[in-house]
Amino acid sequence: MTIGALLFTAGVALLVAIVSGSSSPRCWLAATLAGNVAALTAAVNVLAGGEAWIWRGGFLVGGETLHFRLDCISALFLVLLAVVASAGTVYSREYWTDAAHPRSARAGRVWWSVLIASIALVLLSSNGLHFLIAWELFTVASYFLVTLDRQRREVRAAGWLYLATSHAATLCLFAYFAILAARTGTWDLGPMRDETSLAPLFWLALFGFGVKAGLFPLHIWLPSAHANAPSHVSAIMSGVTIKLGIYGLVRFSGWLPVPGAAGWVIASLGVVSAVLGVAFALGQHDLKRLLAYHSVENIGIIFIGFGFALIAARQDNATWGRLALAGGLLHVWNHGLFKSLLFLGAGSVLHTTGTREMSRLGGLWRSMPWTAGLFALGAVAISGLPPLNGFVSEWLVYLGLFDAVNSQGNAALAAVFAAVLLAVTGALALACFIKVCGIVFLGASRTPAAEKAHEAGCSMTGPMLLLAGACVTIGLAPVLVWPAMARTASIWNPAWSEIAAPASLGVLGRSHVVLTVLAIAGAVVLWKLANKHGLRRSGTWDCGYAAPTARMQYTAGSFANIITQWFTWILHPQRHEGRVMDTFPAQAHFEEHTPETVLETIVRPAGGAVMQLAGAARRMQHGRLQAYLLYLLLGLAAVAAVVLIGGGR
Amino acid sequence: MTSILEFILRLAVWLLLAPALPGIINKVKAWVAGRQGPPMGQLYYDLARLWKKSVVMSTLASPAFIIGPAVAWIAVLVAAMFLPLGPVGGAPGFHGDVLLFIYLLAVARFCTTWAAMETGSAFEGMGSAREVSYAVLSEAALMTAVLSLGVQSGSVTLNEMLATSAGAGAVLLAAGLFTVLLAENSRVPFDDPNTHLELTMIHEAMVLDHSGPPLAVILHGASMKLMLFAVLLAEAVLPLGNMQPLMATFALIGAVLAVTIGVGLVESLLARFAFRRAPLLLTTAFLFCVFALLIAWKGGAA
Repeated sequence: MTIGALLFTAGVALLVAIVSGSSSPRCWLAATLAGNVAALTAAVNVLAGGEAWIWRGGFLVGGETLHFRLDCISALFLVLLAVVASAGTVYSREYWTDAAHPRSARAGRVWWSVLIASIALVLLSSNGLHFLIAWELFTVASYFLVTLDRQRREVRAAGWLYLATSHAATLCLFAYFAILAARTGTWDLGPMRDETSLAPLFWLALFGFGVKAGLFPLHIWLPSAHANAPSHVSAIMSGVTIKLGIYGLVRFSGWLPVPGAAGWVIASLGVVSAVLGVAFALGQHDLKRLLAYHSVENIGIIFIGFGFALIAARQDNATWGRLALAGGLLHVWNHGLFKSLLFLGAGSVLHTTGTREMSRLGGLWRSMPWTAGLFALGAVAISGLPPLNGFVSEWLVYLGLFDAVNSQGNAALAAVFAAVLLAVTGALALACFIKVCGIVFLGASRTPAAEKAHEAGCSMTGPMLLLAGACVTIGLAPVLVWPAMARTASIWNPAWSEIAAPASLGVLGRSHVVLTVLAIAGAVVLWKLANKHGLRRSGTWDCGYAAPTARMQYTAGSFANIITQWFTWILHPQRHEGRVMDTFPAQAHFEEHTPETVLETIVRPAGGAVMQLAGAARRMQHGRLQAYLLYLLLGLAAVAAVVLIGGGR
Repeated sequence: MTSILEFILRLAVWLLLAPALPGIINKVKAWVAGRQGPPMGQLYYDLARLWKKSVVMSTLASPAFIIGPAVAWIAVLVAAMFLPLGPVGGAPGFHGDVLLFIYLLAVARFCTTWAAMETGSAFEGMGSAREVSYAVLSEAALMTAVLSLGVQSGSVTLNEMLATSAGAGAVLLAAGLFTVLLAENSRVPFDDPNTHLELTMIHEAMVLDHSGPPLAVILHGASMKLMLFAVLLAEAVLPLGNMQPLMATFALIGAVLAVTIGVGLVESLLARFAFRRAPLLLTTAFLFCVFALLIAWKGGAA
């Protein structure tokens, strides 16, 4: 089948899914999966063949001819969408059932398919107007998905914050595309790299797409929305929809000229996002909120790669620019894969224990070994450790930075900063995921809910296995994905010709295979030896303490305490503790949580000020006709005064 | 053929010589204190004894309690094999292998701390929290040191980066790397390997529950890691690539011995720092590496 036919099939299948979502779950499942497979095939075809698919419809929609384009850049994101959406579709069958959620399960299915279809439309549209329509549709669809469980107050609050922030961003994008259309005389989009006067528009795009991507400090909506959405929705939001912000920036910085400072700004924002994202994550005790902050971190890593690519493009330096861009783009895939894996794992934990509070969990590996193992794999991947995919993309970004340093150009000093802070980010992420895994899955169960947990069913572990398999594949055979990244880089900047995979990438892949084989062999040998010499079970040796209880274990807060102390200047953790006064204190309590600093200290006060102004202005409007007539009279008098005084000219 | 022989030689050096280093440190400490001290080969006896013992495992722990130390040991060994050993050379490196080297050490950290969290003991929670927190600073220092070597040699391959000398910033780099060595290997002033106050330890607190062969693997891995940092420090400072093979071998052995004795002397003459001050010392190490980087930078530009 040709690419057009495949995409048409995908579109029809998704339409069928939207229609059948409320009446026939099976039909919906089959149609959504079919649509995703068709879209995946088309996208892989484009990435492998490199030939872009362009189609112009013969009819008008909203006064503009339809113009679709599937080139490498959109195909890269379409692949991710298809994979993550398929996993989420299957997962939701067991996670958000009609029986457990009679009010929202039907609506959830319909909006899910609308979301997939509208994201695909965003990726395909090559017309500003249609792009905006699809963009708005996907924002609204994700709003309804976030608030599926809208009986709960915090869900409604999260949904409202998401909707408001998204629309502030969409407003910028409206301005962006409208000004673009006014300057060029058409809504049609395509390469226009020579029109240097369009460069300043980039800042509008940076705000609009940056909010969607969750770039620090524009990420205020992200933690609460990702934490409160149903987990399969969190997975696709974190895995795919925030990547649309990246897509927008990559797409339009490739087509339009960008200002000279763009690369520097993007790279600095990336560094800030990476370090502060993981710092905020360390301060969280809510499993899903913690994962949400890691999205801010990983978006930062992607932006570091992308920012240095922009700098390299400016300086016409293909060698390290290509590496940085390829690393950033590969991290888009990788983060999409392991983050949705982690969110699905968190969903399974939430599903069986009913809590996201890490300090109420513990010891879950016994009752849910599959979920624990797959979550651990995701944790290794997101910490950027070999031999998994997270390391491959970070390695490419690092290599770009190191080569930039060694080239001794004017980007070198910035690259040193970025490389060191990337290392810090990696070490912090490792600390954070040891904390998550240790508190949630290891040790003793802290509550009866955690005690009674049970393993998730096949339709929940199956999708996680698929995502984990993808993580392992990219980690062990990175050369397989290199052509797609190199081709996309050459579409982004036609001056950077597509080159074969660097030899070192192949060696890295082989080293990963060797490491994996050796690690498995070592583990098996030691396990066998331990069993051969006799393996006895006994209570934990708590240094002689006779009656340790589950509550004496280290908690999420105590584990992260050393690091969160370093970051109190931005985290502003709030503590509530009862002071111990008596010699034999009867009770004591301690509570700590880390609020969203940007939201609490900047956005909320600003919003309060606007509301106060509006409230003051509202006093003038009270419905008394006489007063309104007085306003008119005063207004006329003021105009007359202006004319009389200033009218001399 | 020679490459296979070289490979076996390097493997043998890492596996067999590494446990001698803690023995040397203990001898130095004993000598300063005027004691006789344990024999140099004490760790070898300990390893042999532990290897034959049975294992007691916490009722809470999963199989990863035993798998973790195994994977950590493999990760350190693979990282060590990437390091060149003077004239013997290293693994056929590749562009960017130095990053794999650093991240393999992170893999080892992930596995050790994971295994510690398995037991649900507050002491081991403390140990792993400290381990992962201080590693943030030492990783920053290590990355800066590597960047300065990269600027000095113009390469991103370990073999080439370590062949030349660290140039004018060598002293600063050595000071920075030595401090990182002390922190990463849980030596005084960051941690006291002799202490038996569980509340004050890092590495020892993490392995309280391990016994038998897994403990042997942990101890051997720790000694390999110590040697790895000692060799890294020696090769970063000395221009081994420009020396005669025999000369280079002696220089390397001498430098590693000097570092080891240095660790022993620090341990004898210095008390352990309060935990609050440990991050400050690591920040100092990081700054040493930053200045080494700046010197390499200026040298490169001139």
